[in-house]
Amino acid sequence: MRGLGRIRKQRNSSLLSGYLLIIVSALLFIPVVLPLSFVLYNMVNEVTKGAPPVDTSLYSSVAALETMWHKEALQLEDASSEGINERLHELRRKYTEATMFWVDGQGMTQLILTPDEGNRDHGSGVPEQWTAAEAIFFMKESTKRDPLAIVAFMGDRVDAGKGFMVMQIPNKLLNKGAYGGVGAWALYYFVLFVLFGGFALVSLLFFRKIRKRLLQLQTAMTITGPDRMPKSIMTGKLDEIGRLEEAFNTMVAKLDESRKREIEEEELRKRLVSNLSHDLRTPLTVIRSHIHVMTKESLTPQGQQSLELMDKRIADLSVLIENLLSYNLLNSGRITLKRERKDVLRLLREIAAAWYPVWEKENFEIDIDLEAEPLFWMVDEVWFRRILDNLFQNIVRHASSGLYVGISTESRNEQRVIMITDHGRGIQSPSDYKGAGLGLSIVDLLMKHMELEWDMESTGDGTSVVIFNPL
Amino acid sequence: MTVTLLYIEDDHEIGSVVSADLSERGYSVRWLRSGEGATEEASPCQLAILDVMLPGLDGFTVGQRLKRAYPKLPILMLSARTSIDDKLQGLEFADDYLTKPFHPDELAARIEVLLRRNGASVQDSLTLKHLVIYEGDNRVINAQTQEEVMLTGKQFQIFSYLLRHLGQIMTKEQIYEAVWGEAYLEGDKTLMVHIRYLREKLELDPGNPEIIETVRGIGYRVRA
Repeated sequence: MRGLGRIRKQRNSSLLSGYLLIIVSALLFIPVVLPLSFVLYNMVNEVTKGAPPVDTSLYSSVAALETMWHKEALQLEDASSEGINERLHELRRKYTEATMFWVDGQGMTQLILTPDEGNRDHGSGVPEQWTAAEAIFFMKESTKRDPLAIVAFMGDRVDAGKGFMVMQIPNKLLNKGAYGGVGAWALYYFVLFVLFGGFALVSLLFFRKIRKRLLQLQTAMTITGPDRMPKSIMTGKLDEIGRLEEAFNTMVAKLDESRKREIEEEELRKRLVSNLSHDLRTPLTVIRSHIHVMTKESLTPQGQQSLELMDKRIADLSVLIENLLSYNLLNSGRITLKRERKDVLRLLREIAAAWYPVWEKENFEIDIDLEAEPLFWMVDEVWFRRILDNLFQNIVRHASSGLYVGISTESRNEQRVIMITDHGRGIQSPSDYKGAGLGLSIVDLLMKHMELEWDMESTGDGTSVVIFNPL
Repeated sequence: MTVTLLYIEDDHEIGSVVSADLSERGYSVRWLRSGEGATEEASPCQLAILDVMLPGLDGFTVGQRLKRAYPKLPILMLSARTSIDDKLQGLEFADDYLTKPFHPDELAARIEVLLRRNGASVQDSLTLKHLVIYEGDNRVINAQTQEEVMLTGKQFQIFSYLLRHLGQIMTKEQIYEAVWGEAYLEGDKTLMVHIRYLREKLELDPGNPEIIETVRGIGYRVRA
């Protein structure tokens, strides 16, 4: 039941329904707002006009008015001045809002009827005596339609010579209903603007909120904590993004968990290697110490020789343990690098200094030529030592027949390289070369970890190892 | 005057044979089975030999405590770990370390070097070919003529640095940086010049030096 409620809750608060709500409410608002705007328009119109309502239906059609006026003029062709006056008074009673006047054949204005007796302004523009210029001026004015002037010749033709009659209708009567005052129109547009503008604004806010949350999520994904893992984030509403945030948190938690497990496994492996190393080396130390005790006894030369050989083999075994366990650690790929910019020639000199007595003891010819500008590579000092220790160890163990070790630096393909040479029987020779494989595997692994390259050229006359930095 | 060594080793078989060997070599050995009470025991000692893996407090902790209590006490660590083990990099406080299984002669040699380096020399004087050196008094005597060899400050510093690392090859950088206290620049001839003058004073035949040996391509060495 809880799950169901949760699903419903999620659905209710989904982004889709959220945005649908906005659109639907916007659509629903159109039929409400539009009539509302009309009502408002009317109300404002009434208020701004301030006049009692007038029946404007009589003036709604200009065409009808013209037809009516021309018909009246036709009928009044033969009427006397009194008859025309009478008829206009009659019409005036019907069209209360219009101004009417007529001019006789001699161009004299005969009668002016204005809607409001107290306000004769409407008729004031009408001259007593019409000249051609005044007639043209009047007609020009009437083209502005305020007031609209309908002019008809008596008998509805010019050649009747009976003059003409004019009806003027104020523009506001004609426009009523179709056009409003400026205030009302502004309000109308304002309401529409508010409606659509509001819709746009709500949409904008809606998407901005989504955008903000997505950006937050993105930031959380890119910014990593001290252990190079993204941190979990605060989840907001349980909509699609909220669920995404939840999924992200779940993922982070799982990553964290697997990382912890990895660290644990790594620790376990290290502890195992460490314990193994200890357990193997401790008895060897005991044996070696006791061999030394025995050498002090009076023994036959043969016995002394046996002890010496045993001591040597224990030393070899120690190297083998070292390599075996190093290989195990290295191969797990979980060894931390501490690469620093180091002068490798200097390191090489120091390591060679440590091996020098060993080579001297074996009567090696030692040829070291490292007089050059410092050669800086990014190396881990401990590992670099291990590489060279392994290579030198190999020379002592497997190339001692050559009685030579050469360490030098030279240029190859415009690149400075380190060269370590011996005059042994070469790597292909099967003679006592067992065990070198592991040492060289470690050299290879360590080189890869430090992004160094190496090459081994081996002939029956000797082996040379070239170490270079591919960058 | 016997030199007293503090030796901490939990393994009975190793501990007994090593301390017997060291006693035979003329050292007075204080062997502890754990790091407990090491600081108190160390007060009369000139050198401490510690195993890395100890029950209770491990060798790192014990070593660091000893170093804090006696900053001048040289510490030699015995490790049964592999050299690639990152824990070994926590051995910075130690003056030297040796991997098991070590040869007893190697251990003795390292002890000798450490004692000499830290001024707790076994002998008051050191005889090298025709020279008798009194390091404590900064004096070098030519045994053939019974005359004192007068060395300048830098010359004596170079000579005593090599003597402190008797039998070890020191690179040019190591010597220069120890004596001058600044980084060595490749191509700098200062050290070479000083060694030449030093040889003119010390060697019977400066053209064929016997005291300060040049190790071609690496550096210099004074052989025991």
